Amino acid sequence: MTYKELNASVMILCGVGVAAWVGWQAVAVPALDLESVAWRLLYAIGLNIIINIVLMVLATIVVSIAQRDELKDERADERDRAISDKSMRNGYFAVSIGGLAVIVALAMGQGPDVAAYVLFAALMIGGLIDPVSRLVYYRIG
Amino acid sequence: MGKGSAKIENTIRTLRFHAGEITQAALAEKVGVTRQTIVAMEQGRYSPSLEVAFRVARAFGAPLEQVFQYRGEIE
Repeated sequence: MTYKELNASVMILCGVGVAAWVGWQAVAVPALDLESVAWRLLYAIGLNIIINIVLMVLATIVVSIAQRDELKDERADERDRAISDKSMRNGYFAVSIGGLAVIVALAMGQGPDVAAYVLFAALMIGGLIDPVSRLVYYRIG
Repeated sequence: MGKGSAKIENTIRTLRFHAGEITQAALAEKVGVTRQTIVAMEQGRYSPSLEVAFRVARAFGAPLEQVFQYRGEIE
């Protein structure tokens, strides 16, 4: 497993974990107003970033020990850039659909708190499609 | 990855053998790409840009046509 594949795997793991936590919170402990929802989602985004960094450091150490060779990130070449571009395009497409879903939710009479969750879901799904695409392109081509 | 990737074949593996079994990592260093890119090229999963294709050919001291072959139809 290369550093870039490991990074994508960790991003997927964190994204799924945080999205599941937010989903569970939304159902189990419904927020009272839009401000609470926004703070909860901001907290989740911050948590996602921190967990991602910590897990990546730990995973790099574990894989390096397992492979008995330091796992290092190589300088990106044209294939890496092409994969990055295509993966970002896929993620952007998902976020765009999510943005449309937010407008549709508001048009259907849903409250702004629901719209905030839909927007968060769109960002998380887009953020997941990016690393999933990377893994697929690196593994399958 | 590259356009028409299924139709572009290469003889990198054979050329590496004839070049004294040069490693993928050493070839990658010479060409200026990652080892994974060389692996993907050898397995036919990635068709490089024209510039990288020329650099691979130059690394073996071979003409481009000896390293890469286009198997598709030309209308």
